[in-house]
Amino acid sequence: MDVVFEQYFDFGLMRDEFGFVLDGFWQTVQLSIISGVLALAWGLVLALLRQLPGRGLAPVRGLTIAYIDLFRGVPLLLVVLIISGSFPFVAEGLGLPQSIGIPQWFGKPDPFWYGTMALTLTYGAYMAEVYRSGIEGVPGGQMEAARALGMSHGRAMRHVIVPQAVRRVIPPLLNDFIALMKDTSLVGVIALLEVVEAGRTVQAETLNSSALTLGALMFLVVTLPLARIVDRYIAREQGRFQRGLATA
Amino acid sequence: MTEPMLELHGVHKRFGTLEVLRGIDLTVLRGNVVCVIGPSGSGKSTLLRCINLLEPPDEGRIVLEGKEITAGSARGESLDFVRRRVGMVFQQFNLFPHKSALENVCLAQEKVLGRSREEAAKKGRELLGRVGLSDKASEYPERLSGGQQQRVAIARALAMDPHVMLFDEVTSALDPELIKEVLDVLRELAAEGMTMVVVTHEIGFARDVANYVVFMDEGVIVEEGPVRRVIDAPREERTKRFLGLVLQR
Repeated sequence: MDVVFEQYFDFGLMRDEFGFVLDGFWQTVQLSIISGVLALAWGLVLALLRQLPGRGLAPVRGLTIAYIDLFRGVPLLLVVLIISGSFPFVAEGLGLPQSIGIPQWFGKPDPFWYGTMALTLTYGAYMAEVYRSGIEGVPGGQMEAARALGMSHGRAMRHVIVPQAVRRVIPPLLNDFIALMKDTSLVGVIALLEVVEAGRTVQAETLNSSALTLGALMFLVVTLPLARIVDRYIAREQGRFQRGLATA
Repeated sequence: MTEPMLELHGVHKRFGTLEVLRGIDLTVLRGNVVCVIGPSGSGKSTLLRCINLLEPPDEGRIVLEGKEITAGSARGESLDFVRRRVGMVFQQFNLFPHKSALENVCLAQEKVLGRSREEAAKKGRELLGRVGLSDKASEYPERLSGGQQQRVAIARALAMDPHVMLFDEVTSALDPELIKEVLDVLRELAAEGMTMVVVTHEIGFARDVANYVVFMDEGVIVEEGPVRRVIDAPREERTKRFLGLVLQR
């Protein structure tokens, strides 16, 4: 048993490497929040494009569905690799300035931004599906009532449908955010020193995994409360729903 | 007072192979209350939904205040024209659950008619007062009874200053003791001269309030005429049978 403890819970090592691992985790958190916010917005855009009415807009709907299927169907790691490997050349070929091809905005290295792109593109597709379930879960009478009051499709979406849909999908969106946060570790392969890569570096130097355990603990400090928030929100909504039934 | 507000000429509506409306001709005069009665599945609701273009008709013409609204080319423009003149109230109320009663009444006033927040709220409070719900302005729909929700829905439609109101079985989802409070609002509206098309199973209400009754079955108008004529002295066998069944209850 001692060897298990020593390999994974070497407190001395954890103390020595704490600052280094924490710096990595800070990268993870920043990457998660920026990608998460962008994916939330991009997912909503995709969901709305997918719900556009009318025969004339069928191509837009078709392209959106193709996009969502594509990014849900390929591994995030692959997206990370093809963006980081070729985006600088593609951007240069398109005549874009180097500040876009090799982005180093806000003092963050380019792998950070390639990771942000990959996470946003991929999780936007996942979140679009979540929004869609929310939008489709709003009773059809809501859109009809809004249209009957003279609102356009866009206005009805904005003021009537989306606010109700978002409320319904906050828990699954938070779950997706937790998944996204864990998947930021894949950006480590393109040399972003996030928490897993930091732990790996220490592991390679010391032949001891305790720095990775420390990283895992840091993840849990964030993800466990988030999971509890999701549970509590669901319980509260269910209470509301049951009260609603009682008064109906 | 006797010019036509709304005219339907040969209106057809199909859902796939099912023909729900099979040639409807109907004229609604300004200030009149027309009640549409008939068995379930006879196309009554679809008729209302065609009038405000929630379901565009497949064939035929609909003329509202002298303007044809079914002309294919100018659909968008027609939609706006219709929805600003025609208010609709639904069987299931369809209040916006994330908005208070007053916000329900104000939303479209602000976003569609461009009224200021204060203007909309003033009109909203006035209308909630008219349907007897002044004290419920800040309540959310889940805290209101069905009858109260339906009265908010009526106020919401009236806030748009409609010229015609469509009522689609507005009491069918209500407990019996709540029906009267909604019908009273309709009565008052009728007395004020609002042009109304009312799909209803409340024959007593139709007898009291309607100027004109339409009996529909299987997508056609079987019989129509003044209330006394259609309800008290129906000529068609199908009308007699339906009224016999309904009045027996």
